This record gives sequence, C-alpha cells and structure tokens, in this order.
Amino acid sequence: MPVWSGPGTAAHASSAAELRYRMNYPLAPSRGVRVVALDSGAEAVVRQVSKSGWNKARFYVAETNLNTQGIQGAPVEVVLHGFDGAVASLNDELEDVDSTIMVATSDFGSEAAATIGAACSVRGIMTAGLVLGEDTENTVSALRPYAQVLLVPADDADLEAILTAMRAK
Amino acid sequence: MLRQEINELLTKTGPGTEMGDMFRQYWIPALLSEELPENDCPQVRVKILSERMIAFRDSQGRYGLIDEFCAHRGVSLWFGRNEDNGLRCAYHGWKYDVTGQCVEVPSEASNSRFCANVKLKSYPLVKVGDILWTYMGDPAKTPPLPEYEFALVPPSQTFTSKRLQESNWLQALEGGIDSSHVSFLHSSGLQSDPLFMGAEGNKYNLGDYKPYFEVADAPGGLFIGARRNAEEDSYYWRITPWLMPSFTMVPPRGDHPMHGHFWIPIDDENCWVYTFDYQPVRDLTEAERQAMKDGYGVHSENIPGTYLPVRNKSNDYLMDREAQKRGETFSGVAGIAIQDASLQESMGPIVDRTKERLATTDAGIIKARAKLRKAALALRDEGKIPEGVDPAHHRVRSAAVVLPRNQSFIESVSDKLRAQPGVRQASV
Repeated sequence: MPVWSGPGTAAHASSAAELRYRMNYPLAPSRGVRVVALDSGAEAVVRQVSKSGWNKARFYVAETNLNTQGIQGAPVEVVLHGFDGAVASLNDELEDVDSTIMVATSDFGSEAAATIGAACSVRGIMTAGLVLGEDTENTVSALRPYAQVLLVPADDADLEAILTAMRAK
Repeated sequence: MLRQEINELLTKTGPGTEMGDMFRQYWIPALLSEELPENDCPQVRVKILSERMIAFRDSQGRYGLIDEFCAHRGVSLWFGRNEDNGLRCAYHGWKYDVTGQCVEVPSEASNSRFCANVKLKSYPLVKVGDILWTYMGDPAKTPPLPEYEFALVPPSQTFTSKRLQESNWLQALEGGIDSSHVSFLHSSGLQSDPLFMGAEGNKYNLGDYKPYFEVADAPGGLFIGARRNAEEDSYYWRITPWLMPSFTMVPPRGDHPMHGHFWIPIDDENCWVYTFDYQPVRDLTEAERQAMKDGYGVHSENIPGTYLPVRNKSNDYLMDREAQKRGETFSGVAGIAIQDASLQESMGPIVDRTKERLATTDAGIIKARAKLRKAALALRDEGKIPEGVDPAHHRVRSAAVVLPRNQSFIESVSDKLRAQPGVRQASV
C-alpha cells in the first residue's frame, strides 16, 4: 500500500464550496438526433414528442421501398416522411448525426430497422430502439440486431427523457 | 442532462421531500446487526434520510430507533446509559424505552404521571439477516418485512459490510446500474481480485469494450442487460437488477458469490453503502469471507472500528500513479468499491446534472431516473405506493449467461432472474 504523505487534494476539490469554481459555459448541444417511427402505432407517439420544440432532433415516419440501388445490408430503401409533409432521404438525414432512435410497436418495421441500422453503422452513428406496447417479443427480435440500446417496454415519456438527456433541445 | 428541479426532486431525501417520502415507504437498512451485538450494549448514533436518531438494544434484546435528543433539554442520548430496559439520559436521568416512550423522570414525584405524556419519535427496528431494518413512514402503512435473498439465506452463506460514501445517494446508485464502466475502471480487478478472478466470463468482459444494452422494465424496477460478444455464435450477457429505490445486484462471476448494494441516504451529501455477498446453495468459504473482510470484491477495507474506508478522499484514496503506470489499476486507486467511490465523490456532493451529456448507452440511468420521478410524483399526488415495496419484488437475482445470438435474456433466462431457494445462480 502506498504511504500517504498528505495533504490530500481530493477532499478539498470535491467539496460543495469548490463546486462554484467549476468552469461555467454553455455545453454544446447534441450534433443531431434522428427519431424514426417504424410503424403507425409508433407514429402517434413520435408525432406527439416532436411538438416539444427540439432544436437538434428531427422526427420522421419510415416508408420502405424495394432496394433498387443494391445497398449492402439493407433489405429495403427507406424514405423518411417528416410531420410537416416533407420527404427526405435516409442518407441525407444522417449527416452530422450522433444518434438515431427507432420507435416501434410491432415487427412491421424490421426491414426498415435493418436498413437504418446498416446506414448508421457505416457512419458510426449510435442506434437506440424504443419498443412500445405490451406484446414486445417480436418487436424486440426485429430491432435487436440494429439497436445498440433497447428499452423494453418503453413508455411515451421515455423518448422525451432520452432526447433531453442527450441535449437535443 | 436533467433539469435542475428534477435533479433536486431526485436527490433530496429529508422529511417532507418527494424522494424522502418515497424512501419512507420502504424497509431500509439502518445499521448492521453487528453494531448492536448484545443486550444492553452501547447505543449507536444513526443518521438516515436527514434525521438523527439513536439505535439501541435493551436488556430483553428488543431493538429501538428513537430521536437522538432527550425531550427534556435536548441532550444527545449517545451520552446516555443503556440499562434496565431503557436508555437513560446522562444529564437528568430521564429514561426511554425502545418505542421512545419516557418511562422514568427521576425528579418527578414517584407517583407522578408526568412521563406518560413524554414520548420521543421512534421507528421500528427489525433484524433480518445481517441488517437492522427500519421503516420511517406512516405506521398504518407498514409493509411486510423485506425478502431479499441475501438476507434470508443461512448466516453461513452470507456476508454484509458497510462503508461511508461522501456523495449524494443517486450518483452512487447510478454507478451501480452502469455496466459499461466495468471494462475500464475495474479491468484490473477482473484479473487479480480473489472474488472475481478466474471466471470464464471475464475474458468476454475484457474482450469487448462496446457492449449493447437492453433495459427491460420489471416489477419493482428494471433489469439492465449488457451484451458483449462471446463466441462466434453467442453473446455474453450480464444482467443487473435494480429495485426501487436503491437496491442493485452485480452480475456474478463463475462460482464466486453473488453480490450487490443498497445506497441509503444519510443526508443529501452522504450515503451509506451496504454491500452484501452470498451463495444461494453453499456456505461461503473461509477464504471468501476473509477476502470480503479484507476489502476485496465489492467490499472496502475500512479503518478498524469504523465504517470509514481506509482509502478515502482525505488521503486522495492513496492514489498510486506507479501502480497505474504498471497496469495494476486503471485509475491508480486500488479496490473496486473505492474505485467507484473516488470517481463518484469527485463529482461533488450532489452532481450538477444540468451539465451532463448523456449518450444512448446511458439508457438504464435515464430510465431509472424517470421511474423514480414518476413514482415519487404518483406518491405525492395520488398516494400511490411505489413499486419495490411489495416483498415479491425483492426476490430477484442478477445473472451472467452465454446465449445463442438469436436469443435475448428477457425471453431466455427470466426464471434465472428470480430468487429460488436451493437453486444455484446463473453465472459464467
């Protein structure tokens, strides 16, 4: 065991009085978070949360089409529909993004999850999955390979809590 | 990040606070039974949830937990005499029984009824396992006694220790449900600690620094599964249960004992960490028990006669930069418990969560905070009893398993996450 030669600095440094000397400056918000509803059940929840005024998060519903471009690991092509009616391509929307959150109530969106997961993996974007509802087994199986974090079951408030924690405001 | 008002709601546990009222719904550890080892032994000061009390064991072996200060002149009863079925104040001899009832005021007439009207506030104190538990809520709503497995197995199979942590309870708890730090902060312990080393699962821990997480809601709290690569066709899962408000279990390793913690607020800037180890189906060996006493595993080496860690912030945790350089420790601090404590205390007494930058991998922490807040508000607004009060919720276990890649812990090992008397733990 090392010999303590004192005086220790940790006791002083971690005191309540020293807290006020921590440098105080605005922390950078998240670069960007994308929230994608994978089915109609998830769409209602994502739409509701999207109304809270997020500066660094964008919200979409995924639509899948045949993979005509032969993208590796992607069984389908994903088109993203914003709640303002705008349509965006997945590739464009993954620029400057830290995390993508997929929200699902069923395994309906498993192919979309695979495509989104592959696109995020290539770009080093973290993926999370929120599984809503009671009957979660199939949904979890569908999302598991593509989400580095899964919340099972999640409730409506979890999406808002995660976005807040990640500084998406 | 967390809004400041939510941070305050979650971290403040004194009387009349939302989270304080939450804690007061549960039986919680008040002290170790070894602190009151025999009838009429010296009384002990106890401070939990920002209330100062005295614990004592009377001549008949009854335990009492009462207001620390004499009703007469406010003198601390720690200076009193524990004798003849009561605690007598050293100042003027007023005497109290284990319920706080004053039973004698020597200065009053011998046939006086004066003392019948004098009673100190008291809470029940009950021994279950190695711990004396108290319930500080409404007596009319006293729940059934706790049924955590570590407290119910025979004494030969269990060991509990205690240490002071100089931080708010919540940042300590959050360390307990954050599995991803193990591969860094505790990496050396996996290879050298006698209560961890040699387990097959350790190589998976050390071979995959980017675990995947599944956070599963459960009655009473959460199961947090951390998934790492094992073999080509399998994953190594470490599953941590968290029960509200502050109980967690660490996933086991090999045949080593199972272990876990309670974080109990002393006040808003300090907490007691109760740490237990147990074997569900066999006695602890002498070597295991001695290692725990010596501060290995998740226990701490304490200053003899106290529950203050030898390595603490007043001595910089005996930081050893040479050992760090040699790779013996990751942070330079020895011992898993104090590695955690040193970092959690460095955050300050109550960490400012408005300045956090959490990531998706912190989902377990985010979800636990959300559950605590929701439960505290439901208790305040609707009087709803929170999850984790029901003893059925206590009967959980952690687990460490290797599963085929197409299986998840939720579907595959739910039975192994329940305490089952006579059944060995699921461990790799």
